Amino acid sequence: MDTLLPVASGSAAGPLTADELRELYSLMVAVRHLDTSAIAWQRQGIIPGYAPELGQEAAQVGSGYAVDTTRDFAFPTYREMGVARTMGVDMVAYMSTHKATWHGGLYNPMESRLAPIQAVVAGSVLHAVGWAHGQTLDKKDGVALTYFGDGASSQGDVHEAMNFAAVMKAPVVFFVQNNGWAISVPTERQVAGGSVAARAAGYGMPALKIDGDDVVAVLEATRRAFAHARSGNGPVLIEAMTYRRGPHSTSDDPGRYRSLDEERDGAGTDPLERLRQRLLADGIADEAFFAEALAAAKVEEEQIRTGIQALGSRPGTEMFDLVFQETTPALQAQAANWREESEHV
Amino acid sequence: MSNSILESESASGNNTADNTAGDTITNPAGSEPATTVMSMQQALNRALDEVLAENPKAVIFGEDCGRLGGVFRITDGLQARHGAQRVFDTPLAESGILGMSVGLAMAGFHPIPEVQFDGFAYPAINQMVCQIARMNYRSRGTMPMPITLRVPSFGGIRAPEHHGESLEALFAHVPGLKVVSPSNPHEAYHLLKYAATRPDPVIFMEPKSRYWQKGEVDAARHDAGGGSTTGAKVMREGRHLTLIAWGAMVARCLQVAELAAEDGIDIEVLDLRWLKPIDAEALAASVRKTRRAVVVHEAPLTSGLGAEVAQLITQSCFDTLRAPVERITGFDVPYPSGDLEDEYIPNIDRILFGIQRVLEYKRG
Amino acid sequence: MAEISFPLPDLGEGLIEATVLEWLVSPGEQVERNQPLVEVETTKSAVELPSPQAGKVVRIYGGPGDKINVGEPLIVFEVPDNTAGIVGTVPKEEAPKRRVRLSAVLDED
Repeated sequence: MDTLLPVASGSAAGPLTADELRELYSLMVAVRHLDTSAIAWQRQGIIPGYAPELGQEAAQVGSGYAVDTTRDFAFPTYREMGVARTMGVDMVAYMSTHKATWHGGLYNPMESRLAPIQAVVAGSVLHAVGWAHGQTLDKKDGVALTYFGDGASSQGDVHEAMNFAAVMKAPVVFFVQNNGWAISVPTERQVAGGSVAARAAGYGMPALKIDGDDVVAVLEATRRAFAHARSGNGPVLIEAMTYRRGPHSTSDDPGRYRSLDEERDGAGTDPLERLRQRLLADGIADEAFFAEALAAAKVEEEQIRTGIQALGSRPGTEMFDLVFQETTPALQAQAANWREESEHV
Repeated sequence: MSNSILESESASGNNTADNTAGDTITNPAGSEPATTVMSMQQALNRALDEVLAENPKAVIFGEDCGRLGGVFRITDGLQARHGAQRVFDTPLAESGILGMSVGLAMAGFHPIPEVQFDGFAYPAINQMVCQIARMNYRSRGTMPMPITLRVPSFGGIRAPEHHGESLEALFAHVPGLKVVSPSNPHEAYHLLKYAATRPDPVIFMEPKSRYWQKGEVDAARHDAGGGSTTGAKVMREGRHLTLIAWGAMVARCLQVAELAAEDGIDIEVLDLRWLKPIDAEALAASVRKTRRAVVVHEAPLTSGLGAEVAQLITQSCFDTLRAPVERITGFDVPYPSGDLEDEYIPNIDRILFGIQRVLEYKRG
Repeated sequence: MAEISFPLPDLGEGLIEATVLEWLVSPGEQVERNQPLVEVETTKSAVELPSPQAGKVVRIYGGPGDKINVGEPLIVFEVPDNTAGIVGTVPKEEAPKRRVRLSAVLDED
């Protein structure tokens, strides 16, 4: 499905350069390696839990790559590690949320242009609409990119967000990663009609239903959508069809609701392998490049792991200090009481 | 009245050798004890299984309730046993789950929906407050809402945001809702069976940090030593001070009572169980005897249920109270990440400090 | 800790046995679902069998060259008695610890 008019101007229309394609590969390898490592960290007791994004690297790297961090803003859920990495977020600060250091992570969302990680599905989709409408009011050209999944598309907030954005012609790109599963519930039991993208028609909004495991297709679609929204034409919905190859979380057991055969059939070809084959076929990269990319990913993972292991608990005073900009006497009294009775010494 | 047989396991918090009281089943009727050791997860599962078997109009639904058996395995196996018509997965939308419950109730069913975690009840608040809670009233009693909403609640498991919150004051404040929380497997079994057969909406708050602890469940009787399923329950008798708690904090208060005994202080622990309606008579009876009260909850202090409890005690025991009722609670902060969880949830020392303040209080 | 055993699956086309070529995991190792466990050879071909389960390997059956019949034990995993919920951990039960002692002179009037 493609109901978005072709974009004929600017970089949005141009083909990807060899450098860009190689960079996309390096990012996907870094994300893949960090993601699988994070599961191992959980098994080793370094972090209490993690929500893997195995199989969604192309959807996340490709879309995150389209963000211009000087003017755009992205709104993640809790499974957008690949987007964060692609946007250049400090990954120790990002992964700290999975170490149970701070809900939302320790990165600065205003500087990194990535809203805090949040755990309520569809919770931030309306925020993107508000931020985007702010661009309209301020006569700025930023675009809001908001992520959610096939499961979240069932939430009423998603309907409200799309309707608001379309009514207000807000510069929002709704990016649905349809990974086939909301914990144990498959898309066919979640999305009536089978397509989130099809719903855009009802809002008079253009939609792109794309192969979310083809990083080039994802990046090109996202750039087209950004160009459309940035030019004042209103929101766009992208549904990237992908597959959650791993469990919902490190304590999920997919064997309870799907077989290995179903997984194999649903997952298709590994998105990383697809890009690799493409780069080889186009003569853009060779085995030495792939080995180098993997080696770099390993070095990076080690640095992040070291950083995560070195990360101590936040001081308990932050519980009280960060509730308000202007604190209250009651809260100050509680903080004093906490210091007296239970601050660890 | 002694209910210690039920709580000794919770009191020590583990199954160590000094916990022999937990294995002694006293049965006034003299017959063979009919108890089973199980976890709260298993007790809840068994209760739901029986409710489905006994009431053909009972239906269970929510996110991942069916094939997966729930994110905490509470509905494990129920779909296989009772069919996908009666135990089913819904799309991911809590407002939808609760709103649909209203219609099912109107159609003569007894919905037992699940909201996966406390923090996911927020998207459903509109249906809960504006519809479920007042449909009986709006319809002049012609449309009762026999809805039993299960909400895995409270903190203590190092989970992500919105997975550790205590919403009892929010629920209890809504006219038309009843609220209950079990503290151990025995209570979980009986209170859920009771709640799921009521003609009114009941929010059933399961203390998720206690899901895995095992305890004796006597399926034949709820309150062996008296009391009522609709009220509070004395979990440990004492003379000097009453600790009032619910959910996961009951076990902690029983630990505190044991520690206080080392110092010669004899503490009574009252499991409130029903957070709405609150058993004011049980509060009065206990505090009239002990003359001192400390209420403990995980929820934030301000406008928490502790304030309601303190007022009820003051109302009935003003003349005999030796000190103002103390509240030991979570703080007025968003529930923190796992690293700071133990700083937030009332710990043993904070409860002991509160007890000490009450003990040394001097009038005038 | 409980154990969960997986038999050699039906590899299709009516084959009733397979020969172990090489184990890719060993007892004590933590494996993930779908991770290759063992390479086996049937009369048709050599295949890698993926793990149906995430968990710690307790035992494996058959060394290189050994034949295993379909339905016979292949691998045993260790499964914790207390499985955590979809998020979070199972709280550890610890003996109560205290710093604070109580002191009071209680009149018993």
